[in-house]
Amino acid sequence: MRPNRRQLFATLLSAAAAGKLGRAADDAVTIPGKRPMILHNDRPEDLETPVRYFDSWLTPIDAFFVRQHIPRPAPIDPEAYRLTVNGMVSNPRQLSLADLRKLPQYTVPATIECTGNGRGFFTPKVPGIQWMRGAIGNAEWKGPRVGDVLKLAGLDASAAFLEADGADAGVAATPDFVRSLPIQKAMHPATILALSMNGQAPDIHGFPVRLIVPGWDGTSSVKWVIRISAAAQPNGGFFMNPAYRFPKYALPPGSPPRPGELEVIHGMPVKSCITAPEDQARFAPGAIAIRGFAWAGEQSIERVDVSTDGGSRWHAAELSSPKLPFAWRLWHLDWRPTDPGYYTILSRATDSAGRVQPIVATWNPSGYLWNAIDRVGVTVEAAA
Amino acid sequence: MTARTLWLACALSAPVAAADQAVLDRGQKEEARSCLPCHSLRLVHSQRLSRATWNKELDKMAGWGAKIQDRDALLEYLAANFGDDKPAAAPALSGDGSGGKKP
Repeated sequence: MRPNRRQLFATLLSAAAAGKLGRAADDAVTIPGKRPMILHNDRPEDLETPVRYFDSWLTPIDAFFVRQHIPRPAPIDPEAYRLTVNGMVSNPRQLSLADLRKLPQYTVPATIECTGNGRGFFTPKVPGIQWMRGAIGNAEWKGPRVGDVLKLAGLDASAAFLEADGADAGVAATPDFVRSLPIQKAMHPATILALSMNGQAPDIHGFPVRLIVPGWDGTSSVKWVIRISAAAQPNGGFFMNPAYRFPKYALPPGSPPRPGELEVIHGMPVKSCITAPEDQARFAPGAIAIRGFAWAGEQSIERVDVSTDGGSRWHAAELSSPKLPFAWRLWHLDWRPTDPGYYTILSRATDSAGRVQPIVATWNPSGYLWNAIDRVGVTVEAAA
Repeated sequence: MTARTLWLACALSAPVAAADQAVLDRGQKEEARSCLPCHSLRLVHSQRLSRATWNKELDKMAGWGAKIQDRDALLEYLAANFGDDKPAAAPALSGDGSGGKKP
């Protein structure tokens, strides 16, 4: 039934009253445009994709994870939108969406993964959103190259960094979300200002313009970007330092960070994830499909090996095409266990640079870059 | 421990527990007052951290503008309910906002 205006108003009123009375953590929350998602924070929205949704190479927008440090900006009017291009350029510009659409458009399939995906697996526990497997997704991003935009503005040859600012502003005294990346990465032909995601407006994922920095951690791909500035130095704000840095030298688990030894993360590690079967699932005897995804930042996936006996024996999984840098590959292995019992299934990816997924992920105080061999357990019942 | 000493221990600890409960209640009120202006409580309740780490988190949040008044009670409440000795929070799912498309 389509509610009339009066009913809508009553609903809004009661929602407002409920909000005032408590905003209890257990209130049901629905995020417009999203399927049921693992809810880590509903204000601002931090949503994890249940791995059972990862059954296609492109992750649909309605299933794509969301990470927000600070509230979304007020809706941006696409007609009024302007991208400021300034800093070390000879011809600073204010570009409209029409200007950006006039430049050659490129489609880049790229996996975006939150730097903290898998934080919940680290022991000892570290503060931050306790993402497990699903702060990741793969999409086709389309828009002009950042390099073309910078050439249009007359980039100074001595610029070393590109700073990107999103339209979102902090709450209370939280810092503004600003990131920098080395100019070489900004000028890479796959680094684009995405105007669309899987052929649609990126919506909560950064409408109308999102920077896409393929192969790097998700935080580099600034949403709602309204300014890019060429600079001699990287931005020194919170989201560049100390946030989103990784220890240069590994620390004993549980140690405090060593601020002088933290480095900006350039590129993501090699990683695979088992998306089926579900952990602790039970099966009747018969065929069981083991599947998942694997990606390797700026590299491509060379192989994925799967074990169904806790790592004694490994079997090469079938990999999906295409084999690309930046984008994940799906993999699967058809398995027919001969005996009933409990099985520990593992997956291990190897990339085109020869990097192999480790048994133990490197503990770090912020819980970034979890990439240990993935693991689920299943029970196969005895035949009836 | 014999039944008698166990009974004694329970009897002696009961008033202490009651006093603690008052602090925990204050802590919960403080949580609503100082955390809710910027984010939902899920962000807090989904974490399991040591007392020392919660203490640092409170400093971080104060630095970002949280106006924490009853800090000791809030720390007690967080450590008692969301300590790293507690089992992981059960994942919560949002409702279906996709407009009826099947997952």
